[in-house]
Amino acid sequence: MTRLAALLLLLATPAVAAPLRVASLNLCSDDYALLLAAPGQLVSVSRLGADAQESALAARAAGLHRNRGRVTDVVALAPDLVLTSGGDPNAAASARRLGIRVVELPQPQTLAAVRANIRRAGAALGREAAAEAAVAAFDAALGPAPAGPVSALLVSGGGLTIAPDGLAARYLRHAGLVQQAVPRGSVSLERLLADPPMVLVTGDYHPGQMSLNQSWLAHPALAALPARVRRLHTDGRVWTCLGPSLAPEIARLRQEVAR
Amino acid sequence: MRLNLALALLLVPLAALSLFWDPETLRAVAARDPALAQTLLLELRLPRTGLALVIGASLGLGGAAMQGLLRNALASPDVLGPSTGASLGAVIAGYFLGGGVLAVAAGGMAGALLALGLLLALAGPAARTATLVLAGVAISALGGALVNLGLSLAPSPYALYDVMFWLLGSLADRSLGQLALAAPIIAIAGGVLLAQAAALDSLALGEDVAETLGVSVARLRWTIVVATGVMTGAGVAVAGSIGFIGLVVPHLVRPLVGNRPGAALWPSALAGAALLTAADIAVRLPVNGQELKLGVLTALIGAPFFLWLVVRAR
Repeated sequence: MTRLAALLLLLATPAVAAPLRVASLNLCSDDYALLLAAPGQLVSVSRLGADAQESALAARAAGLHRNRGRVTDVVALAPDLVLTSGGDPNAAASARRLGIRVVELPQPQTLAAVRANIRRAGAALGREAAAEAAVAAFDAALGPAPAGPVSALLVSGGGLTIAPDGLAARYLRHAGLVQQAVPRGSVSLERLLADPPMVLVTGDYHPGQMSLNQSWLAHPALAALPARVRRLHTDGRVWTCLGPSLAPEIARLRQEVAR
Repeated sequence: MRLNLALALLLVPLAALSLFWDPETLRAVAARDPALAQTLLLELRLPRTGLALVIGASLGLGGAAMQGLLRNALASPDVLGPSTGASLGAVIAGYFLGGGVLAVAAGGMAGALLALGLLLALAGPAARTATLVLAGVAISALGGALVNLGLSLAPSPYALYDVMFWLLGSLADRSLGQLALAAPIIAIAGGVLLAQAAALDSLALGEDVAETLGVSVARLRWTIVVATGVMTGAGVAVAGSIGFIGLVVPHLVRPLVGNRPGAALWPSALAGAALLTAADIAVRLPVNGQELKLGVLTALIGAPFFLWLVVRAR
């Protein structure tokens, strides 16, 4: 009986070898997959991951198949590994039912969880060395949180902002900025004018696309903020998933803040 | 005339309250930085108050004109489809054609006109209440479904969030540019509607009587449809869809003007402006730390009123 189990285990080992055809189903798993996969290993990314308006790594997805986050989109590509992160909760289950190995990357709540996700994705791809290098690069880009941080407000279109105790704020802390507490996660232009922060960081999203939120960022009242309010700009794309591609943007922001 | 004067006088304190809302904050900002307080008043409060007055007037006037034209107490832009049509047009223009503010306004107006044209074509000239409301409900449902279809085909996931919030209607954080866009369009279309007062009063006596009194009913119909569509579209493009003002206001006003539809136009415009300005002040009272959405509040007031109308008409 034990011999049979050992034999089965032996037969099952090929699944542990590096997968050759990897499909990533969500924007946030694309972030890790595009960062870590060996050339040719990735066969499909989500359409958002391949969209330069959504993903900072979109250039790396050029020429890859694009899926809409469903297993049915990629099953014809015969993937041997499916990466998911958020999105349709049924996708992972249906991939498993089809006998495809699935690795789910949970939404990180801490910086340690981002590192763990990098390692988890690296192990799943058989790219442990690349993952360790990526973690090292991530930590190098973040650097130590600067002393004497400045009170700041990170807002994107429509006045949406981030929680002062969330992961995004933890990243911001490494740029030398402390996110102000804002009730209910959004700030009105009136509030902003009545009580301006020391540093205002605006993040744009789909800058080419007209939207109410976009026109909020272009409101003349924002331009009329007093000169003592320092204005910084950040790439809105990397704040969606709060994954490894945010680290270089934090390094850039830290340099600007220190200037 | 005295009613108009009274309503206009009511607008003064409402507009002042809207402009100088939360005076402690205003004073504190002015003490710290006068230029900033000026910006706050000019760039944020002025457009907000101005849009509340202008769009409120357009909703009240549009409702009164449609109720007069269709001789139907249930007629109003948000019940019979043009509001949904405007939403659809604006969503298509803004999110799929990638247009700017002007394109969104044009899309809103085109959508509203299309919905109204469809309504008149479906219901026929002298439609009965049931036919008209049925056709309106069908058009609203179709428009709503198409908006949802558009949302599920949206180019980006955030567009969904954006459109949903916009459809709830709000006047917060609007700009002078948006006021400068909506106000002239609404003023011109509103002027055209107000000029139809005598013709609407004649129409109230019946189409044949109106024709003998020299009113071209067909032309009157088209004038009111086009002007209402243009007004609704311009308002929706800037403020999202704000329901029920157009339905409620003419009912409040009509008993005061001897039930004459033409005489109800001016007071409806003024009362609409007053009601929307008041509603926009009310949403600024913080509930659970969050500003309410204007369209939500007007629906909360308007829907029970609508039900009361239904019960009374039973």
